[in-house]
Amino acid sequence: MVEDLSPYLPLSAATLHVLLALAGEDRHGYGIMQEVARQSEGQYKLGPGTLYDNLQKMMSQGMVEEAPSPRDNDDPRRRYYRLTRFGRAVLAADVTRLEGVVRRARLDLRPASLRPAERRAK
Amino acid sequence: MTRAIYAFLLRLHPPDFRRRFAAEMLWIFDQAHVSEGALVLLFDLFISALRQWLMRSGVWKAMLALAGAAIQVIAFGVGGIASLRHAALRHPDAEMTPLLSDLMLLTLWSFGIVFVGVFVSASWVTRFNRRRLTPRKRP
Repeated sequence: MVEDLSPYLPLSAATLHVLLALAGEDRHGYGIMQEVARQSEGQYKLGPGTLYDNLQKMMSQGMVEEAPSPRDNDDPRRRYYRLTRFGRAVLAADVTRLEGVVRRARLDLRPASLRPAERRAK
Repeated sequence: MTRAIYAFLLRLHPPDFRRRFAAEMLWIFDQAHVSEGALVLLFDLFISALRQWLMRSGVWKAMLALAGAAIQVIAFGVGGIASLRHAALRHPDAEMTPLLSDLMLLTLWSFGIVFVGVFVSASWVTRFNRRRLTPRKRP
């Protein structure tokens, strides 16, 4: 059965970046912060307050869950998080939505002479 | 010093959030305060505390209810006092003081009842949110 994901979309910038950071591998909180900064080339930085506020919300919505630590002797204060199947589906749906936005923006931002004739006629 | 302030701000978060994430957040502060800037992290945490209480805990509903009730009680009290003054001007010989004090007492009691009501409903909302925020299993 296909679940209606529209109530969860569009994702906020913070939620989108956190889900993206967890899409590749399980990470702890500080790892998520670093991955978000790396993926956005330093243009978007999450503080711990924003991160855990969003993590709490995503965990309550079932998009993210806690994961076991990959190392036995890891610092117990470091807890790992991973994407659930539902979280991955929401992320994919938002990426598809964003692709549509980018496609539309590219069309509209082209010089008028390069736009399709029917659009110019409007 | 900044670490102590950070720990203090963590204590200002709702108990559920604090129990779940505080140790981890303090660990991140230890790791990141040099690279990210302690003030930036403190500001982020301050905003987080506000957001947690106002948006996630349901306390805003209780605050709104309290404000609405207070406005009603004050409006009732002020209206009552105004009508008594008006009556006093029309009938200067009438004894007004006991009635006025009764009205003030009634207002105070109303405040008390409203406050207790809001406190009970806020506790209920907090318990409800605690249950709601436990992770759900999805197929």
